[in-house]
Amino acid sequence: MTQQTFLYQPKISDVLKNIRKVMIGKEEAAMLSVVALLAKGHVLLEDVPGVGKTMLVKTLAKSLDCDFKRIQFTPDLLPSDVTGVSIYNPKSMEFEFRPGPILGNIVLADEINRTSPKTQSSLLEGMEETSITVDGNTVPLSDPFFVMATQNPIEYEGTYPLPEAQLDRFLLKMKMGYPSAKQEMEMLSRTSNGHPIEEISAVLTREELVGLQKEVAEVYVDQTVNRYIIDLVTGTRAHESVYLGVSPRGSIALMKAAKAYAFVHDRDYVIPDDVQYMAPFVLSHRMILTSEARFEGHTSESIIDSLVSSTSIPVKRNISE
Amino acid sequence: MQERQTFIYKLVLYITGFLLFCEWLRPLESISETNDVTVFFIYATFCFFVSFLQIPWYLSIPLKGLGLAFIIDGLYIAERIFSPDWFTVIFEQIVFNIQMIQSQEWWQMTPLFRSLLFLILLWLMSYLLYYWFVVAGRMLFFVLLTLIFVTVTDTFTLYDGKWAIVRTFILGMVALGLSSFAKEMDKESIAFKGLQKAHVWALPLLAIILCSSAAAYASPKLSPQWPDPVPYLESATGGPGPGGEGNGTVQKVGYGEDDSRLGGSFIQDDTPVFEAVVDGERYWRIESKDTYTGKGWEDTLEEPVTNMDPGNITYETFADTVEVEEQTALITMSDQASFRKLVYPYGLSSLIRYPANYDLLVHENTGEMDTVKGDSPAKLNTAIINYDFPAFEYNQLREAGDDDPQEIRDRYLQLPDDLPNRVRNLAGEIVQEEENRYDRAKAVESYFSSNGFEYSTTDVAVPSGDEDYVDQFLFETQLGYCDNFSTSMVVLLRSEGIPARWVKGFTGGERVDSRETSFTDGVKDVYEVTSENAHSWVEVYFPDVGWVPFEPTKGFTNSTDFYTDIDTDDSEDSVATPEENETPENDMGNPQQMEEEEQNSDSAGADGSSDQNYTWLWVMLAIVGVAGLVLYVTRFRWMSFFLIWKYRKNKDENTYEKAYLYLLKLLHHKGIKREPEQTLRDYANKVDRHYQSNDMRRLTNHYERVIYRNESQYSHWPKVTELWENLIKKTLS
Repeated sequence: MTQQTFLYQPKISDVLKNIRKVMIGKEEAAMLSVVALLAKGHVLLEDVPGVGKTMLVKTLAKSLDCDFKRIQFTPDLLPSDVTGVSIYNPKSMEFEFRPGPILGNIVLADEINRTSPKTQSSLLEGMEETSITVDGNTVPLSDPFFVMATQNPIEYEGTYPLPEAQLDRFLLKMKMGYPSAKQEMEMLSRTSNGHPIEEISAVLTREELVGLQKEVAEVYVDQTVNRYIIDLVTGTRAHESVYLGVSPRGSIALMKAAKAYAFVHDRDYVIPDDVQYMAPFVLSHRMILTSEARFEGHTSESIIDSLVSSTSIPVKRNISE
Repeated sequence: MQERQTFIYKLVLYITGFLLFCEWLRPLESISETNDVTVFFIYATFCFFVSFLQIPWYLSIPLKGLGLAFIIDGLYIAERIFSPDWFTVIFEQIVFNIQMIQSQEWWQMTPLFRSLLFLILLWLMSYLLYYWFVVAGRMLFFVLLTLIFVTVTDTFTLYDGKWAIVRTFILGMVALGLSSFAKEMDKESIAFKGLQKAHVWALPLLAIILCSSAAAYASPKLSPQWPDPVPYLESATGGPGPGGEGNGTVQKVGYGEDDSRLGGSFIQDDTPVFEAVVDGERYWRIESKDTYTGKGWEDTLEEPVTNMDPGNITYETFADTVEVEEQTALITMSDQASFRKLVYPYGLSSLIRYPANYDLLVHENTGEMDTVKGDSPAKLNTAIINYDFPAFEYNQLREAGDDDPQEIRDRYLQLPDDLPNRVRNLAGEIVQEEENRYDRAKAVESYFSSNGFEYSTTDVAVPSGDEDYVDQFLFETQLGYCDNFSTSMVVLLRSEGIPARWVKGFTGGERVDSRETSFTDGVKDVYEVTSENAHSWVEVYFPDVGWVPFEPTKGFTNSTDFYTDIDTDDSEDSVATPEENETPENDMGNPQQMEEEEQNSDSAGADGSSDQNYTWLWVMLAIVGVAGLVLYVTRFRWMSFFLIWKYRKNKDENTYEKAYLYLLKLLHHKGIKREPEQTLRDYANKVDRHYQSNDMRRLTNHYERVIYRNESQYSHWPKVTELWENLIKKTLS
């Protein structure tokens, strides 16, 4: 139905197919990861250990022909372990910069809340800027640069929760969830002779990924849809259960995510459905509930859901603007 | 089996619809000038029958048209049916009426054309009701409409909807019960063959209907909480009061002919009746009545009628022995006056200067003078009247004695057999001290001025059951207007053996001007007589003198002259004198009297032509109202077809947007609701699931591109239009 103007768009289904080979019943998580990747955003995966967070990232990385780096965050990790360090080379009598893992294309930051805030911020600052500064040298980050961080739910012991101001560096925050019994059965039978991740190969080159990101930026967002995004976001600010609402950065993130989502679904324009779908993933980690609301059992997700189901959809053209 | 069950169900439903529709036709006889609605019933039955057969339109339309043609032919057209002349008549009628409609002269529309339109309406209703009841299965609206119609006609017109409302209720319950049954069956997807157990449903339904109807009928009901609004409406629109019924309702003041049931309240009406240029205030007589029934007056002496030359009228109410003065008066009837009778002062001798070719048909006993032109009653607009104004001499009256001619005794002593004895006893008490007829009559006349009688045109009782009108007034209410007073006086006099009769006409009216006249010398006064001046008074018979007017009504004065002849003067003369009006010139200007003056009995018959107009106005309003309602109820249907036609021609994004939004509205109206926060795509899926197609999704896709992509869908227009029309039609079906 869409007039096909996208050169690289069909590649997306190849990536998703690849992930499907490894991950069972995680289509949504896979799709969302791709959305974030295309929107030049980063993903925070939050769930209990062992549900496949790391596997998802590894599969995605392996499907892309990109430089993949992994940082296992531990309490004793130092910022320089993330960014890299300058070492004195006696031969050349100069300090040489040894790049850290943040300088890869795709970075898996595993268990990000297990390390100290100082180390966390070394990664998070890099995510926001396009470069890092080490020992006075400014080193540009790679392009594309995509961070997938995983974290255990903050209730677990031995964790350093990410500060709110840093949480919104992530475009999306999502959960994996347990597989169904049937899916788990299939999982067991598949892994019995060799892990399927060994069998997949890269289907997307770096150039193609950059091309895709450019195409996503070209997806059209009409004023009517923007208006709807604003309605949703301002809804969080006015909501009685919300202590701190979503910032304008959240509006931009929602628009970018909706664009990528529309693109993944082979559409060159955003419709309110895209916004509705992406809103919980984009907005829920960008707001703080009042303590009363938390005691009453509300979560950010439920607030966003209620907002989505009470904000009217624009069905007329916005002629005045 | 299933077919048959369905058929029976449909038949019952449709018959119910037809019977409900009949409730709309029934009141026509009373609320419009339709004389016989049978023919409309027949045609409606025919149309409903043909509609039910569901034969193809090329058969049903000619059939119904044929029926229509036969009825029109039978009612209005002398020419052989379907002959060229016949068609000419029809064509001319239609052209004429269309011209009349264009010039907004509704009242000019001919009966043929009105009937034609009405028959076409019946035709359309047969389609509509078939659709409503059988196809759509939505009868609640029509049932409600019928109920409203019956209550409104009952309230605002003379139509008595007592039984109609019961019938409508029962029919409505049957229709709704059946349709609810059908809907349940449909909802649960039970085939009609399950209907072998139809009685399981039908019996409780019948029982409920019968029980609730019986309970509702038997249980006590509040009496009307509001006064009957009909007279108010009639007066607000300038129409006349209702006639004849007299059942405790308010009537409108004015001259009317039916006095068989007196009583009830009046609304004042200052419509001018005529203008008189005259020497003083006069009674303007129209007729007398002779037979008191206990409820009102009947006229048993209408015959004989003599055709008199207006130039020489020989009708007399008093003998030649009475002193008279020749006088002349000019009367000019107003446009609003509708009766075709002469109003005349006492002593009428001739008309001079009146329109040519007019004759007078004089009822010799009652004095009623019909003005006719040729053979038909005609309104005499203006005439100059010569009359011998009488002045009765007291002593002559006192000495007249009781020696009445047998003819007078036979006619003017009648009383109903069941007149309560206390009336007779009262009469005896009033007159027992008086020695002569005049004094007795005076005693009765003045009895009303004291003894607690009140003059009022409102809250006046109507005798019900076997109550007597006079008895009720004299002993119970003591509140009334001229009819009460004058009738009571006549009855009291008659029970004392004094011949008396009841006279109707107008009082002198209000002096509005004085001017010189061309027909006599000198200045005369101009009196304006309005409907409020309609009046009734009493004439008492005196041997050798004739009929002498008396005025029993409180607040009114006798416009007749009485005098005392010095030569025959008795010691008694001074007693009576102060009460009488010696000279008309003196009393007529008395503003207090003028103010008090008003009212009369009667009812009905006043303004025939405006009556028709207003009936038609009501009918028109009703038709417009019903048409408006029908248009409103079917708004989505006709709007859709209008929009389909309109949007085919316009091909821009605005049209697309409007069309799509209209479709949303239509779907919403049909029960597939979209919540404001539901996305179009979501909604389209819902709609498509409902209709089991993918049209809505496809259409919505295009629409999304228009509003969220800001993209022209011009190239897809034919496809989009097709999708849209399909959806609209699907939704409507």
